[in-house]
Amino acid sequence: MVLLTILKKLKQKEREVRLLMLGLDNAGKTTILKKFNGEDINTISPTLGFNIKTLEHRGFKLNMWDVGGQKSLRSYWRNYFESTDGLIWVVDSADRARLQDCAQELAGLLLEERLAGATLLVFANKQDLPGALSKEDICEALELANIKTHHWCIQGCSAVTGENLLLGIDWLLDDISSRIFTAD
Amino acid sequence: MSSSSLGTDTLPSNRTQEGAMKVKQSGGQGVAAGSTEEQLLRKTHISPEDVLLLQKITSDYLCTPEENIYKIDFTRFKIRDMESGTVLFEITKPPASEREHGDKKDVDPNAGRFVRYQFTPAFLRLRQVGATVEFTVGDKPINNFRMIERHYFRDQLLKSFDFEFGFCIPSSKNTCEHIYEFPQLSEDLIREMIIHPYETQSDSFYFVDNKLVMHNKADYSYSGGP
Repeated sequence: MVLLTILKKLKQKEREVRLLMLGLDNAGKTTILKKFNGEDINTISPTLGFNIKTLEHRGFKLNMWDVGGQKSLRSYWRNYFESTDGLIWVVDSADRARLQDCAQELAGLLLEERLAGATLLVFANKQDLPGALSKEDICEALELANIKTHHWCIQGCSAVTGENLLLGIDWLLDDISSRIFTAD
Repeated sequence: MSSSSLGTDTLPSNRTQEGAMKVKQSGGQGVAAGSTEEQLLRKTHISPEDVLLLQKITSDYLCTPEENIYKIDFTRFKIRDMESGTVLFEITKPPASEREHGDKKDVDPNAGRFVRYQFTPAFLRLRQVGATVEFTVGDKPINNFRMIERHYFRDQLLKSFDFEFGFCIPSSKNTCEHIYEFPQLSEDLIREMIIHPYETQSDSFYFVDNKLVMHNKADYSYSGGP
């Protein structure tokens, strides 16, 4: 308990938040990261490693990590779990063929001990595409209602138009700050 | 007040007489607090704590290019103005495999470790910038990669960055953008920095498992031309 208090205080001092963004390849993680930070999104290639952004937002020092989602890279995800306050799971809502794969990967992450203290935000991305499933459909496919171990929220969004990105991130920060930064 | 360490002749050899005089006139305190470059060069391993104690730009590189055993290679630097969204500066270099042709014997061994930036005075008035680096790593995984970057004008520390990348996937290409408020500089300092090009300098130190493996340098002009 003492340790937890100290940790809380340490984090409180800088209000530093670590967000880890994962999801299958081509889900739009890097596009979300860039769009959220006002960067050009016309030339994005598959991530063969990580992309990090550090920024100040609403008085928080945010460290956002986007790690490549190709199958060969997923075994490395575990190396980025430590100290994660918020997990952002990005779904390509138009990729019906891999929805099962997507659900399995997420279910695996939620069992990880080092992510036990993280809030989960699911971005049902690519809502701008005609064939996209709704966030309700994605919610059902990922069986989010069964999650008892993490605070979670699902948000339909479009990385290309930027729709709802801020809304999702702000919900995530509110939840994290109410868990971590409030009085001991 | 600038606090330079005294009594050691660690001035860069290409420094002007003016620079040397500047060091002389700064006071007699602050020596014990810092560590000097000479002390560090006697050590077998240089740690992050060591370089965080440095009080001024180093006159030489604190490690050799051969110590970069993880083959970390910086392939892009970019700076953008967050307010206008304009890219102010961008350089890319082709991957190592496409370089290293030719067999010039007199090639500068420090080429690639040093960057010279030329900005206009307006650069010093920016409010928020995003600085991106892109780097590749060799075929060995890196467990704990950390960067410390220290910016000085003459012997005054303007900004110190300290960031832990942590793990790097073997043969990966990674990017990191720091978006930050530009340090508020006094009018006097801005004027000095503009009329003394390349006296604004930075050391970038890179550590793997707390051991220095790479050291890059840069200098800066804000006078608006070469």
